[in-house]
Amino acid sequence: MVEVNTPVGDKPKRWDLPFGMDFTNEAERREMSFSDLNDLFAKEPFSEMDASRFPDSLPLASIVANDTRIRLYREGDAIVRQGDYGNSAFLILDGDCRAIIEGLDPAQLGRQAGHSKSLLKSVKGLFTNALAPEVRDSRLYPQHRDKAVFDPSGTVFVQDVPNILELSPESYSEARHNIIPEGSLFGELAALGRVQRSVTVVAAGPGTTRLLEIRWQGLRDLMKYDNGLRDHINELFRQNGLKGAFRMSPLIQAIDLDEDQWDQLLAEAEFETFGSYDWHGTYQQLRKRDEDLLTQEPVVQEEGQYPNGLLIIRAGFARMSRRHGAGEYTFGYLGIGDVHGLQELMHNVSTDDHSPIQTTLRAAGYTDIVRVPTRTFEQVIYPAMMKTWPDGNFPEKFLGETMERHKTAMSTRRASWRGDRRKREFSGAPMMEFLAENRYINGTATMLIDLDRCTRCDDCVRACASGHNNNPRFIRHGKIHDHHMIANACMHCADPVCMIGCPTGAIHRSEGGGEVVINDVTCIGCGTCANSCPYENIRLVNVRDQSQDDALMVDPVKGKAIVKATKCDLCVDHHGGPACARACPHDALTRADMDDLLDLSEWLNR
Amino acid sequence: MSIAALALVLLILTPYAIGYRIAFSDVVVTSGWLLFAVVVFLSSYNLRKKLTYPPLLKSSTWLQMHIYLGIAAMVIFLFHTSGKVPTGHLDIALYALFTLMVASGLFGFYLTRTIPTTLSSRGNEVIFERIPLFRRQIKDRVEQIILQSIEQSASSILAEFYESYLMYFLAGPRNVLLHLVRSERTSYRLRHELRESDRYLDEQDKVLAAELDDLIKLKDDLDFHYARQGLLKLWLFFHIPMTLVLLMFLVAHIVLIYAFTYGGS
Repeated sequence: MVEVNTPVGDKPKRWDLPFGMDFTNEAERREMSFSDLNDLFAKEPFSEMDASRFPDSLPLASIVANDTRIRLYREGDAIVRQGDYGNSAFLILDGDCRAIIEGLDPAQLGRQAGHSKSLLKSVKGLFTNALAPEVRDSRLYPQHRDKAVFDPSGTVFVQDVPNILELSPESYSEARHNIIPEGSLFGELAALGRVQRSVTVVAAGPGTTRLLEIRWQGLRDLMKYDNGLRDHINELFRQNGLKGAFRMSPLIQAIDLDEDQWDQLLAEAEFETFGSYDWHGTYQQLRKRDEDLLTQEPVVQEEGQYPNGLLIIRAGFARMSRRHGAGEYTFGYLGIGDVHGLQELMHNVSTDDHSPIQTTLRAAGYTDIVRVPTRTFEQVIYPAMMKTWPDGNFPEKFLGETMERHKTAMSTRRASWRGDRRKREFSGAPMMEFLAENRYINGTATMLIDLDRCTRCDDCVRACASGHNNNPRFIRHGKIHDHHMIANACMHCADPVCMIGCPTGAIHRSEGGGEVVINDVTCIGCGTCANSCPYENIRLVNVRDQSQDDALMVDPVKGKAIVKATKCDLCVDHHGGPACARACPHDALTRADMDDLLDLSEWLNR
Repeated sequence: MSIAALALVLLILTPYAIGYRIAFSDVVVTSGWLLFAVVVFLSSYNLRKKLTYPPLLKSSTWLQMHIYLGIAAMVIFLFHTSGKVPTGHLDIALYALFTLMVASGLFGFYLTRTIPTTLSSRGNEVIFERIPLFRRQIKDRVEQIILQSIEQSASSILAEFYESYLMYFLAGPRNVLLHLVRSERTSYRLRHELRESDRYLDEQDKVLAAELDDLIKLKDDLDFHYARQGLLKLWLFFHIPMTLVLLMFLVAHIVLIYAFTYGGS
């Protein structure tokens, strides 16, 4: 291995790779032309924007030139698919689009597995992995000196654009027959809220539909410096978020509501936010100061209070606790779509005896809540529940997670220590406390290791390394509760705060599976994601150039090493799922979805 | 599945065992080839571990099969040898190798089922390869404490204690065998000795002695992990290479059998 550092090009920067060039398919790559930009600035909302409000370091024209791209769709082409994770919003430039809320079969949406490596390629990789750590093919990087396509003079030119903008006042959810008219913006909810797309949108023609795709980094900056866009998107966010929240609740999905009941529900439901959107920063500070997190978390609904409505979690997480002695103990948590207060409301509506709220609900970091007022619950939801299940035998799975978690909590309290360690309830209150306190509840693929089974053979680490060019993407080390370790591996969070602030969009949700992955080509190694990750699961590494005998890549101007962010990608491009879990000979390792407490409980109590 | 495989093997061999319609030489040949096939399959588990990505069942499933087929191999081996020790040199070596292989497998099974629980119930979780680093850090801190003690008090009690006991204790992994049988005798004595000298220390040195006590405990826990994690790794270094030797002997055995028995006739 040669240890000579070789310059490979400029230090990576935001906009090294304009959004228009960020296509896997080479034929689609196209930079914004001068006339494209002129066209855009003649249209709303860009024609209404005040360029002078944007800072010199972040000019409006540069944002549009680099964070947007024009895309063409034929009539019937799917633009976004329900259930996908997306990092961009779309503005319709020419033509119409149609939003399809339900009724489409996944096969009709053309769903297929991601671009997995072929079996042969996977096996070949085992024998051709690099000997040095973090070796890359620098020719793939856009800033490589051999690539002349990124001429900065061709992108930034319009400085005096006309200002002011106003988007179409009609959101797609309100449009007749779900037609999204020209000039509308859609997909902003998924892009900004880091949630799945709630509808499928197809190009409705006539002819070719032309759209402007805006990646969320650009949208965020446009919103930051343009009040009109910000107010408009906030309003859309509120309207569409409300509907989306109802769709995410298993309870609301299960009951049969007529149009009037839907109208009443939408009109009377309230939308509230607790905690901070950038909760990870506060969390890290509190942890450093070793403060009691529970008491710092905003109370959403308090034990003993009058149940003033059914709460549905729209985004984020909430911790459920109960008073115990001088403090509170955590016995569960709620995630997206879960409900709180249902048992109490059902009890109160069916008896004369009025029960207060039995558990305190707190925002674990950041929680968006939809509150269905008690009166609306009694008039709309409860009658619909009785109509759906006339015998009053409500299936637990449709009642949200609350019932299940109450049950788990009850059994937990009864379980306690019985003298035999094997019979101990490991998913009890102390475990819930551990998971909520450390915010592990955020994970959808959390690496859990049972230390009573783990022989420390490191087969998991080797398996991971073999699929990533000899670089393990996790550390078999982490916080321990009892004999269970949460290892330092990306948890592929439900609320991936690492994605906040990535200037290039290199860290993103993969299409289909929604795994949080990093595009090594567009990563500029700024470390924003690594600093944001509250679990320290993203590592910055110095990369080496395979075409230069594995020498470290350096910035020729500053002489500094080129850095890239790396993390577990859940073996998204390999067959068979995460190699770590399949490689464990003793079934000591699993990737657990923290939202599925029953599965988790089953695994913990094997 | 493994139980079914074992049942199948027994079902095939039972008629042989009672000698019904089949000659003894057929029993030996069939059980020999069956044993060879099972040993080859058992050996392929290590290959499966290297082939991470092809969908070849989970490693834990392979281990289950490995264990049950390993037991089946023992049964077939008994049929094959009729429970007797052979007389030829090569056959004796093969017999001994197979027996050692089985013994190491059973020993490994015992270790993997018992050691993890002891590891998770004592000391901090530590990666084996990083133990020398932590040991070094503890040693450095102890030396700082001793220097501080020399500087701040006229007494040389702690320095003498370091020279007499700690220097050797901190220099490398200690009490490996004792840790394998979970004995804490040495560290108990060491800490007891330190506490005994407490009455001769001034207040400042007492604080340092308390920290030393913690560090001795920490080092002892590191040694505990070193010994036990090391044993978990070591038995594989014995079990896996021996597989290759066994396979070589098996091939030689088959060649010789065919050359001198069937070839001769």
